[in-house]
Amino acid sequence: MKNMRTLITFLLALALLSGCDIIDMPQNDNAHPVNPVTGLTRRVLLEDCTGARCPNCPTAADLAESIQNFYNTNEERVIVVDINMVAQFSAPLAPDYTTDFRTPAGDEYATHYNLSVIGLPSGLINRMPYGGVVPQGAGSWSSAVAAVIDLPPDMDVWFDSFNFNSATNVVTTTVKVAVINAINGPHNLTVYLTEDHVIDWQEDVRLPLGQQNVPDYDHRHVLRDNLNGTWGDVIIPTSAQPGDTLSESFTYTLPPAGAINHVINTANCSLVAYVYSTSGADADEVKQVAERKFVP
Amino acid sequence: MHPRIRLATTLSAFIAALGLFAQDGGQIHGNFSTDGQLYQADDQIGAIKPPADFGLNAWSNLNYRSGNFQAGVRFETYLPALLGYPAGSPYKGTGLGYRYATYTANDLEVTVGNFYEQFGQGLAFRSYEERSLGVDNAMDGVRLKFNPDTGIYLKAFIGKQRFAFDNGFVDGTGIVRGIDGEVSLTEAFPHLFPKWVEKGHFLTVGGSFVSKFQADLDPLLELPENVGTWAARANYTTAKWNLYSEYAYKINDPNGSNHFIYKPGQALMANATYSVRGLGISAGAHTYDNMVFQSDRGAPSPFDLNINFLPTLTTQSTYNLPATLYPYATQPNGEVAYQGEIFYKIKRGSKLGGKYGTKLTLNWSGSWSLDSTAIPNDTIHYLGYTTKFFARGNRQYYSDINAEVRHKFNDKWELAFTYMNLVYDIATIQGHPGLPVVYANVYILDGIYSFNEKTSLHFELQQLSTKQDQGDWATGLAELTFSPHWFVAALDQFNYGGPVTTEQIQYPIGTFGYIRGGSRFSFSYGRQRAGIFCVGGVCRVVPAANGLTASITTTF
Repeated sequence: MKNMRTLITFLLALALLSGCDIIDMPQNDNAHPVNPVTGLTRRVLLEDCTGARCPNCPTAADLAESIQNFYNTNEERVIVVDINMVAQFSAPLAPDYTTDFRTPAGDEYATHYNLSVIGLPSGLINRMPYGGVVPQGAGSWSSAVAAVIDLPPDMDVWFDSFNFNSATNVVTTTVKVAVINAINGPHNLTVYLTEDHVIDWQEDVRLPLGQQNVPDYDHRHVLRDNLNGTWGDVIIPTSAQPGDTLSESFTYTLPPAGAINHVINTANCSLVAYVYSTSGADADEVKQVAERKFVP
Repeated sequence: MHPRIRLATTLSAFIAALGLFAQDGGQIHGNFSTDGQLYQADDQIGAIKPPADFGLNAWSNLNYRSGNFQAGVRFETYLPALLGYPAGSPYKGTGLGYRYATYTANDLEVTVGNFYEQFGQGLAFRSYEERSLGVDNAMDGVRLKFNPDTGIYLKAFIGKQRFAFDNGFVDGTGIVRGIDGEVSLTEAFPHLFPKWVEKGHFLTVGGSFVSKFQADLDPLLELPENVGTWAARANYTTAKWNLYSEYAYKINDPNGSNHFIYKPGQALMANATYSVRGLGISAGAHTYDNMVFQSDRGAPSPFDLNINFLPTLTTQSTYNLPATLYPYATQPNGEVAYQGEIFYKIKRGSKLGGKYGTKLTLNWSGSWSLDSTAIPNDTIHYLGYTTKFFARGNRQYYSDINAEVRHKFNDKWELAFTYMNLVYDIATIQGHPGLPVVYANVYILDGIYSFNEKTSLHFELQQLSTKQDQGDWATGLAELTFSPHWFVAALDQFNYGGPVTTEQIQYPIGTFGYIRGGSRFSFSYGRQRAGIFCVGGVCRVVPAANGLTASITTTF
């Protein structure tokens, strides 16, 4: 019995000593990106799957902004797009939530990643698995971004030309892709139209009861439309070699006033272009992304 | 390791183990169950026909036992998984979902591979499978159980948790380790409690410590890589009384569910039951404060990688309308709940009891938010809010007052009438922000008519009235059983009080089945309403569906 007491005491002490990291001051004030930016980097697309009636989503949106602020000190390394989806969290509900931010593409992404079952908020970090799955709870976003942001890029993507005619609301642009490392397998190019700082209703569970419906919430980086469909266009049919340069041009008319997802302020709009694999072990993985603001 | 290689390796080891032990006359037992559904589109209820118009889930357990040795595997198939299944991260493909080997010697039990385990009621740790929900957080590692002396039980484990399924189970990233000790004081130290031992009373105390490890890659915050939870419990039982209480405390555990706050969590539950012949009384209360405890702080959903389990106090109705429309889901980030129930059986032979007696049940349960105050702009300690221990807040999540009278009139007739009054915060419980609280009354007539010893009819008439949500509902159910082999049933759920006439929809389902020995076959055809399905306070979303469902279960 004495030996048993000793053993139990030892095991309990071991468990208690090894099992707790109590942190009083969580803010990592001295944090900085592990590898300071030198030359071309692999930028990260953080798709924030959200909804105006998702009470937990503003926390995730704030986190996305913190991640952006952390990495985007010298250049855009993290590009955030808010994709409204899942009827439960995004369908209009009178009298306040009358705006429908959903898009056909967003609905298809929700289906593809089973997000109506998993729930919101959720995030897609370069659409790569982290911890075994692609959709990430917001608690993993920082870590998932950190895990991929210093990976070497296989390609670069940029907007080679851009013009917006405010009289006709027509955007013309050419997206170019420069291959750095050999690419095997087909890849698609998708281009988003986003609008920043859309002021509208949002539920926020962090606020006191009775104040959780916020009429003037600042919706960031809202996906308005896909220029070339939900899954984009083929940009690399089979494979590409280092030195190859590919391009695709777009002429796109913004949704007119009154249309679902019409743009409110074109000065806050951007185009986001990304290339992703469409088959194989890395299917869905976003290889590179770039953003072009209408007003740089 | 590639899933196929892992499967082959495991099977080889399992077969080798069978060969080694078969000479001792070991036995193999197993079971198989499958649910398949053929889908068809139904625009009226929002049911889609998925690309693969047939989905199938299947499970098969094989267990081998020889003396002190036991081993087993479970094969699982999701080709593809049924719509809305599982609750959390996806299951797909075919492979091993579970494998284990256990050996017991000299009061020490060693398990390697997968195992389910629970400390106390689970406030600190519970690993379990609830197949109907698609919740499975099986451990994958090592577990020791040791019984060093009479009335003393020790457990320790370390492992990862099952997370998803992709041609085999997929473990999560975090490591979970735990230790638990339980002492039955009246058994271990009878000389200290001579009167209790004489009267057959038992007093058991227990304590546990569970911690998780997950690396911190976050550049913004310093995250705790080791998060510990300790718990203590006591249980006192007599022939009439059962008193149980458990407390758990969790250190800072910022995660997606609690909005990355560093406030410690705590939980306290207490239940008391008193039972004598013909009378039962129970009362319970609990408070949960910031007690989501998952082995991945960024788990994609609240169903994934849960280390602990927070029991609900609310009545888990089995009747169609309350169970499918307004079931309660535990709020692990914060709730205070109470429950009380009285059961009384009016004696047989009395005026009200009749020949068989009359059973009366009165139950009440309620759940509220915590009485908490937010700490705005706390960028130093990230504590989120303050709260008074066990103080309930102003927001009522749920209330259920229900009363049942059940009477058997004669050999042929038995009837039960139930009334329920529900208060249901649908915005919080089902995640439908903006929707008003539902106030509903439910009336249920439940009857059994026995034609003869082999043939009986079970029927239910249910009506739910409310001015909120989708308005009034009714359900009719009839089940005809021809023992011992056949049964046929019909159910119709009808939203006749919906605010829009064109949305007043019927959800009929017809079922027939055949039972033979240990095998059961059933086939259903009809509509399934979109909603949520709950077991024990854990709820998953169920999508609308229309089609043919087939289920088979068998054991050997």
